[in-house]
Amino acid sequence: MKRIILVGKPNSGKSLLFNQLTGLRQKVANFPGVTVELKSGKFEQYQLIDFPGAYSMSTLTRDEEIAVEKINQALLDQQTALIICNLDATRLQSSLMFGMQMQAMAQRYGKPMVFALNMIDEVARFGHQIDVAALSKDLGAPVYAISAKTLEGIAEFKTAVLQDAEQAATEINAEDTAALPALDFSEQVKQSRLLAAKYGIQSTVVLKHQNAIDSFMLSNLSGGIAFLLVMFLLFQSIFTFATPLMDAVETVIGSIASFVTDLTGPGMLADFLNDAIFGGLGSFLVFVPQIMVLTLIIGMLEDSGYLARAALICHKPLSYFGLSGRSFIPFLSAHACAIPAIMAARTIESPRKRLITMLTIPLMSCSARLPVYALLVAVLIPDTRYLGGLVNLQGVAFFGLYFFGIVTALLVSLVLSRSSLNDDAKSDMPFILELPTYRLPHWKPLIHRVTNSAKQFVYRAGPVIFMVSLGIWVLGYFPTGAGGLQDSYLGMMGHWIEPLFAPLGLDWRYGVAILMSFLAREVFVGALGTLFGMDGADENIAGLAANIQADGLTFGAGMGILLFYVVALQCVATVATLKAETGSTKLVTGLVIGYGALAYLLAMLCAQLL
Amino acid sequence: MMTLWDASGGQTVMVTSLDPAIDLSVSSRLREMGLDCGDPVLCLRRGPFQGTLVVAIADCVYSLEQHIARKIQVKPL
Ligand SMILES: Nc1nc2c(ncn2[C@@H]2O[C@H](COP(=O)(O)OP(=O)(O)O)[C@@H](O)[C@H]2O)c(=O)[nH]1
Repeated sequence: MKRIILVGKPNSGKSLLFNQLTGLRQKVANFPGVTVELKSGKFEQYQLIDFPGAYSMSTLTRDEEIAVEKINQALLDQQTALIICNLDATRLQSSLMFGMQMQAMAQRYGKPMVFALNMIDEVARFGHQIDVAALSKDLGAPVYAISAKTLEGIAEFKTAVLQDAEQAATEINAEDTAALPALDFSEQVKQSRLLAAKYGIQSTVVLKHQNAIDSFMLSNLSGGIAFLLVMFLLFQSIFTFATPLMDAVETVIGSIASFVTDLTGPGMLADFLNDAIFGGLGSFLVFVPQIMVLTLIIGMLEDSGYLARAALICHKPLSYFGLSGRSFIPFLSAHACAIPAIMAARTIESPRKRLITMLTIPLMSCSARLPVYALLVAVLIPDTRYLGGLVNLQGVAFFGLYFFGIVTALLVSLVLSRSSLNDDAKSDMPFILELPTYRLPHWKPLIHRVTNSAKQFVYRAGPVIFMVSLGIWVLGYFPTGAGGLQDSYLGMMGHWIEPLFAPLGLDWRYGVAILMSFLAREVFVGALGTLFGMDGADENIAGLAANIQADGLTFGAGMGILLFYVVALQCVATVATLKAETGSTKLVTGLVIGYGALAYLLAMLCAQLL
Repeated sequence: MMTLWDASGGQTVMVTSLDPAIDLSVSSRLREMGLDCGDPVLCLRRGPFQGTLVVAIADCVYSLEQHIARKIQVKPL
C-alpha cells in the first residue's frame, strides 16, 4: 500500500489530525520487538503514518535522532507518496523552522509535500487572519488551513491531499542523493523567521493566556501545592473513582458464574468453571476499571499541558538524584506501564540520566501491580473513611505503596549516579524543555486511549492468566478430586518450595502464586483465586479478599508480599525492552537479580518485624 | 558580564554571544530556537527552587537550566 507520512514539531496538533484522518482506526505498536512507536492507520487507499515529533533536523536527543532516521528512510522509500507537514498556525516560526527543513529534504529526495496549517480556530479566536494563498506562494507548496479540533476545513483538506498524493514523485537516484553533502539549514531558519513575521500572530498575544496560568502553576508556593495536590488526587482517584466500576464488574461476573454453574449442575465441569475460570480469570478482570481510571488521568494531564510544568518543577529536586526534570514524564507514565515509559525516556537529554531513568522505571508501580495491591490492601487495611469519604484509609495505603516505589527508585538513582556507569563526555546535554499551551483535553482520543489500555491489559495478561489458572487447576484437582488440594500434585510440589517462602511467613500457596507471577504480575491474583477457590467450600468468587482474611494471612507477611511486588522486576516484557534500549544483557540480568534480592530481603524483614 | 541566568522576571534582554564552550549541536539548536546574537529574549520567571529559568523565545516558552543559561551572554534591552 502507498503511504502518506505525517510530520511536524511536537505539540502542534499532529496526533489529533492523525486521529481525524484515520477515524481512530489505528494500530499502535508499542510492545517489545518494536523499537519505535509509529502509529499507522488507513486513510482512504493510503496508509497514513504518524511520525514522532521533532524540533529540528539537527538532533539533540535520542527520540529526535530516531525521528530523523525514520524520516530519512521514508524519503528513500518508493512507497512514500506524500508528506504532510503539520504546522501550528499560532506558532508559525517554530513550526516553519522544522517545516522548511523538512521541505528542503523532501525536495532533495523528490517527494511531494504539503502543509497543514492546523489550529486555525485559535488564530481566529485571537482575531487574526492568515493569508493562506500568499503563504502557499511564498512556501512554494500547497498550504491548507484546518482545525483538527473543530474540523474546519478538514473535508476539503482530505480531498485535496488525496489529489496531491496522486501526483508522481520525481524519480531520483537514491545512491547519488545519499552521497550529497548534508544539507545546511541556515537559509531555512532565516526564511522561517521572515515568513512568521509576515504572516504569524504576535507571540505576546499567543502567550498571554499561558503566562497567566503559569504565574500560578510555577510559583514557588502555589505551584508546589498544586503539584502535590495533582499527584495525591491521581493516586487517590485510582481507588475512589474506580470502586463503583469494580463493584459492577464483580457483580456481573458473579451473576454469570452462578447462571453458568446452575446450567451445568455439580461435578467436575462446575468445579473447573468456578475455580479456574471465574475464580482465576474473573478475579483479575475486576481490576480493569482501575487501569482505565489511571490511564484517563495520565492522559488528561498529558493533553492539558501540565506534564511539562511538572517536569520543570521536578528538575531541581530530581537533579540531586542524578536525574533530569525530563525523567518525570517517563516515571509518571511508568505507573501505567513500564514499557512505553522506557521508550519515553528517549527524550532525556543526557545519555547517563537516560540510562539511570530506564533502570529505575521498573520500581514505579505499574498497573499490573494494581490487582495485587488492591487485593492485599483490601485484606490488610480496614476501609475507613475520613473527611466525608474524600480520604480513604485504603487509598492512603495505596499511595504509600506507590510512594515506597518512588523513594526506592530515587535511592537507586542516587547510588547509580555516584557509580561510574556510562560516564562519557556527551553525558552533559542541557535541560531545555518547551512549555506548551494549556488546553482542555479532547475527549474522543482520550476515551479511545482509555479503552485501548483496558484492551491491551486484558489481551496481554488474559491468555497467560488463563493458562496458569488452567495448569494450577489441573495439578491441584488431581489425583484427589475436589477438596483435596493439600494432597494433590500441586500440593506435593508446593511443599518443595515451602522452605523458600517460610522466612517470609507464607505457605506454599502464596509461594506458587508468587513464582507464577514472574510470567506477569497479575497472575498472582488469578493463581491465588484458583487456589483459594479450590480450597474453600465457599462458592462466592467475589470474596477472594475475605477468603484470604479468613485463612489468616498475618499483617507482616501480607505487607511483605506487597513490598516484594513493589520492588521485584517480574515482567518478561519489561526485561526485553530494557535489553533492547540499553543494549546490555549484563546490566539487565544484574538488575533482575538485584531487585529480586532486595525484594526478598524487604519481605523477610516485614514478616519478621511487623 | 551579564548572562541570561542573571535576568530577572519580566525583563527583556538581547543575546550578545553564546559561550564557545557549548557543544556545537547544542549551540546550533539554540540559534535555531531564536537565541542567536541580537535576538530578544523575555525572561518570564524563575522556576521553583531556583532550578530553571522560564523564557519566551520567538513564539515558544522554554524552560532552561542554570547550567546552559549561564553560558548565554546577554545585555539589557
Ligand atoms: N484549538 C485547537 N486545539 C487543537 C487542534 N489540534 C490539536 N489541538 C490540541 O492541541 C493539543 C496537542 O495536540 P496533539 O495532537 O497531542 O499534538 P502533537 O504533539 O503534535 O501530536 C491537544 O490538547 C489537542 O487537543 C486544533 O486544531 N485546534
